[in-house]
Amino acid sequence: MQIYLPIAEISVNIFLLLGLGAGVGFLSGMFGVGGGFLMTPLLMFIGIPPAVAVSTEANQIVASSASGALAHWRRKTLDPKMGLLLLIGGSAGSIFGVQLFSFLRGLGQIDLIISLSYVSFLGIIGGLMLIESVRAIMRRRHPEQRREGGRTGHRKRGWIDALPFKMRFPRSGLYISVIPPIAIGFFVGTLAAIMGVGGGFVMVPAMIYILRMPTSVVVGTSLFQILFVTALTTFLQAAQNQTVDVVLAMLLTVGGVIGAQFGARAGRHVKGEELRALLAFMVLAVCLKLGWDLVITPADMFVVLPHGGEAAH
Amino acid sequence: MLIALLATLLTQQAVPQEAPQIMAALTHETVEIREDFAGTELILYGATRGLTIQDEIVVVLRGPDQDLRVMQKQRSFGIWVNAQAQEFDAVPAYYTIASSRPIEEIASQEALVRNGIGLAQLLDESASQTEMDLSDYFAAVERAGARNALYTAAPHGVEVLDGGLFRATLALPPRTPVGNYTAEVYLFREGRPIASRSTSMRVEKAGIERVVYEFAHGAPILYGLFCVALAMLAGYAAAALFGRR
Repeated sequence: MQIYLPIAEISVNIFLLLGLGAGVGFLSGMFGVGGGFLMTPLLMFIGIPPAVAVSTEANQIVASSASGALAHWRRKTLDPKMGLLLLIGGSAGSIFGVQLFSFLRGLGQIDLIISLSYVSFLGIIGGLMLIESVRAIMRRRHPEQRREGGRTGHRKRGWIDALPFKMRFPRSGLYISVIPPIAIGFFVGTLAAIMGVGGGFVMVPAMIYILRMPTSVVVGTSLFQILFVTALTTFLQAAQNQTVDVVLAMLLTVGGVIGAQFGARAGRHVKGEELRALLAFMVLAVCLKLGWDLVITPADMFVVLPHGGEAAH
Repeated sequence: MLIALLATLLTQQAVPQEAPQIMAALTHETVEIREDFAGTELILYGATRGLTIQDEIVVVLRGPDQDLRVMQKQRSFGIWVNAQAQEFDAVPAYYTIASSRPIEEIASQEALVRNGIGLAQLLDESASQTEMDLSDYFAAVERAGARNALYTAAPHGVEVLDGGLFRATLALPPRTPVGNYTAEVYLFREGRPIASRSTSMRVEKAGIERVVYEFAHGAPILYGLFCVALAMLAGYAAAALFGRR
């Protein structure tokens, strides 16, 4: 059954959309990731214009992160003060990202920038995740090597501690400068606007390794920031570029909500390290596909883009 | 409705012999794009006066204009990058030619160009000033349109019926753009158009499509807030439905 999407202005099979939502929802429920980094490229693969794919995916992430953020809020497993700082940076980043998006779209280079951003971020994150999980699996198989000196607290204080404007974060038990959280938030907000992702895959590692937040509050705080930054991005894209397709977003959300339930159940039967290795492979597969498309000789040496009269201008 | 249409066309035909004439009417004055729109077929009925056995009929349906930017891909640092932009103003977003015989058999290229028939001619007029040879760019625009079935040719799309009547079947693909369309019908004799007539129609969004589209473009700020609120509500509802374990 075909459905005509009012903003994307194309006709797509409704079951394909529900299926995509459910499939990506399953994976995100299983791995505990947002899934934006998978959904946005998939939407573009099925022919949704990139601008609509990115903006609409931000809208879907609002829905998928809302329930999680709420749960963490109730359980008090998030650091509201840190979240607020990340959010301040994130809002500025989102505003900047939406402007940058419009500008690049005007130049006819937005597809390239989206692809390049995906290839570089997915490559780095996927690679790091794979190395880390393979090491963890090896360690489990050879328990005698388990006494690693890793993150045990007595690490020497780095450049982060030399920055000014320090603040106390009681929930995280930290006393650090406000500059890194704001900078991380800004960076992730920009990514959210350009790539149509929540940015959890960048923010969670950054919170653990750069800010050294306790893992117990990392996921909740990251969801809190993602919820509000994607909400702002959705609003800005809708108000400025008219590229949010609410029908598409709702179909993906319905599929996603159902898929996530089954994914979360399935995830409990798989071991953590294997799960992360699997996710790493998936991230790298998307990265390779997008990278491959950039380097192979295109089927058509010309691209025809709408110009001028478009909503973006 | 069709019978009434044909009847009027036929009565007009009963008028005594004059110069050759052509008349046409579309089965739809508006085509509505609803949520289940996946392309449709449009029939154009017409009548001619003084049609002889050597005469041919050509129907051109032209959609709303859009501005295009065509870029050629170039390899730099190993990746393909869009470069060398060429702009085209007011290119029809939809263009189809249906004819009673393949168009190249009906008239010469020059005759078609002279009468403004054919996409290449339109592209040539709409290209922004340049010294470059743009034939590759024209071909690229035609390919892109053909991929979405927006630029088509139906070499036997016009059926000549008895009594000087004819019928053209025009396909509107799933990606049919919204806007005003004009259909030009030509009566060709010995490679020259000896009569022509134009008629018009509109493609517009209807139902939910229209409501959402007008909301998004008419009140973008409110629409943005609506999208965010709906998503939050959906997330909250999902949590309430599944979450309490």
